[in-house]
Amino acid sequence: MADAVIGAGVQADRPADDGHARPISPLRAAAYTMAANKGAMAGLAVIVIMVIFSFAGPFFYHSNQITTDLPAALHPPSAAHPLGTDNEGYDELGRLMLGGQTSLEVGVAAAVVATFIGVGYGAVSGFVGGLVDGLMMRAVDALLAIPTLFLLIYLFSVYQASPVLLILIIGLVAWLVPARLVRAETLSLRTREYVQAVQVMGGSRMRMITRHIIPNTIGTITVNATFQVADAILVLAGLSYLGLGIPPPAANWGGMLSTGINYVYAGDWWVIYPPGIAIVATVMAFNAVGDALRDVFDSRLRPR
Amino acid sequence: MIAYVARRCVQGLVVVVLVSFLTFIEAHIMPGNPARAILGIHASPAQLRAFEIQNGYNRSLPIQYFDYIDRLLHLNLGFSYQLNQSVASLLNERLPATVILVGLAVVVALVLCVPVAITQAVRRNKPVDYAITGTAFALYSMPEFWLGLMLIMLFAEKLRLFPPVAPQGNVGQILTHPAGLVLPVATLALGSVASFSRYLRSSLLDNLAEDYVRTARAKGASRRGVLYRHVFRNALAPIITLIGLSLPGILSGALITETVFNYPGIGLLFWNSALSQDYAVMLGITIIVAIATVAGSLLADLLYAVMDPRVRYGEA
Repeated sequence: MADAVIGAGVQADRPADDGHARPISPLRAAAYTMAANKGAMAGLAVIVIMVIFSFAGPFFYHSNQITTDLPAALHPPSAAHPLGTDNEGYDELGRLMLGGQTSLEVGVAAAVVATFIGVGYGAVSGFVGGLVDGLMMRAVDALLAIPTLFLLIYLFSVYQASPVLLILIIGLVAWLVPARLVRAETLSLRTREYVQAVQVMGGSRMRMITRHIIPNTIGTITVNATFQVADAILVLAGLSYLGLGIPPPAANWGGMLSTGINYVYAGDWWVIYPPGIAIVATVMAFNAVGDALRDVFDSRLRPR
Repeated sequence: MIAYVARRCVQGLVVVVLVSFLTFIEAHIMPGNPARAILGIHASPAQLRAFEIQNGYNRSLPIQYFDYIDRLLHLNLGFSYQLNQSVASLLNERLPATVILVGLAVVVALVLCVPVAITQAVRRNKPVDYAITGTAFALYSMPEFWLGLMLIMLFAEKLRLFPPVAPQGNVGQILTHPAGLVLPVATLALGSVASFSRYLRSSLLDNLAEDYVRTARAKGASRRGVLYRHVFRNALAPIITLIGLSLPGILSGALITETVFNYPGIGLLFWNSALSQDYAVMLGITIIVAIATVAGSLLADLLYAVMDPRVRYGEA
């Protein structure tokens, strides 16, 4: 819907002879709106750099991330180790790449899990309506009332954490907000003519939800999923601080940071700032992109 | 108004019942069974059986659930076998400390977010806006434990202004050492300023575009007068709801903050219970925190309805 408005706005009243006679496609108009937002572009750049750094970096920068090397522990940056070594003698730069892989993977995967569950639940709840909707939403309220960290700590005191379990459990805890957002949009979408037309033509409820309602919530979903990635990276960091993250030798930025701060009084800055800055930059980047996407999808917020 | 209050209260009650159901499920996903979890791996089958009968674990799940509700209604939250103390009395000791921490942090975050948001809204897309927004975002993006530690390094180690560890003891002892509260409250508050101010900024901007602003300006009111007398008042109301919604997140933050500063609240208690696998304490804290959150958001909604009549009449 937002796209249609963008397209219409751009095409309207444009003189045919100013060299811009060709109408701008909605997608391209959205891309222009994005490109005009410097924060979003910077955020996008940071995300791309982090992904390349974490996933392509190890092919070019080789370091031993498998066996510990205690005599070489906590060495300051040098030619051999550009960012020094950590408390177990791992090369910090190489570890930062490895940790980035885990942090980004867990963040994105948890966001995907949360979004899928939330969208399905919210669309069904909003579409069915009535008492069922009321009960489904109260269940969301009940789960939201238990602070995420309290639930996660309880679950991880029962089960040993692994990357897959972390993704599933962070995702299972985080689907509540998208569920609410999608439900709210579904409530208004289900009364639109084109959705009712499907009903008149004998389309099934399933078809109405999957073909006509969910695709129209894609803007809300995308914006929220972007924020979800940022939140999941922070949750993983918090869990790692509490010792509930992924056990070594696997690495993630939050775990590196929380191990690193044990050495803060020794002045070993190189085990703290690189992972810390990586987390802050990545989380800020995802938030900036999410904010810009919201401007793109929400026509009301476009500059007046 | 009465109908609205009644409806929201019934909703809140339903949520609390569902929360009790959730914690009941939580209690039953423990490894093995509760008797094994509490008595440990060396308990004999006879001891386990006796414990199960004594605590009603041998009965059917629905009956156990109603027993659980009955105990909750009598404020019997179970017994900590690790600390040899009832969960209710533990909460009685620790809960006020967390209430102080969270309450102060919310107040500080609110006080900070108002000037930040006004500057952002009035100087929209100017360097000041970018600088403030950037700083707030950076603070929001920092893991709380790192922010807490940086504050300790700067204000406790280098400048020696505030103690690095929170005051210990009960509420009275905590309040008599306010300097020790500064860093924990700052850690918790600074993370929330970004989300509060971002919300208030967009709320201010929405209101600045309303017709009543133009009308007031046309009638000769100054920019400043319109901003503070009309726009600000209207923009502030939604923040009340936001506080209600942010409570669970702030409580999660409080858990980390309490761990960093060794602050004697329920977050630290919860964490220590997780380390010693003291499930009764964890579940007791969970249900109290959840009920507090439901009550908090209910209160926020009712306050909002009092402030903004459109809410109670608009939504049927």
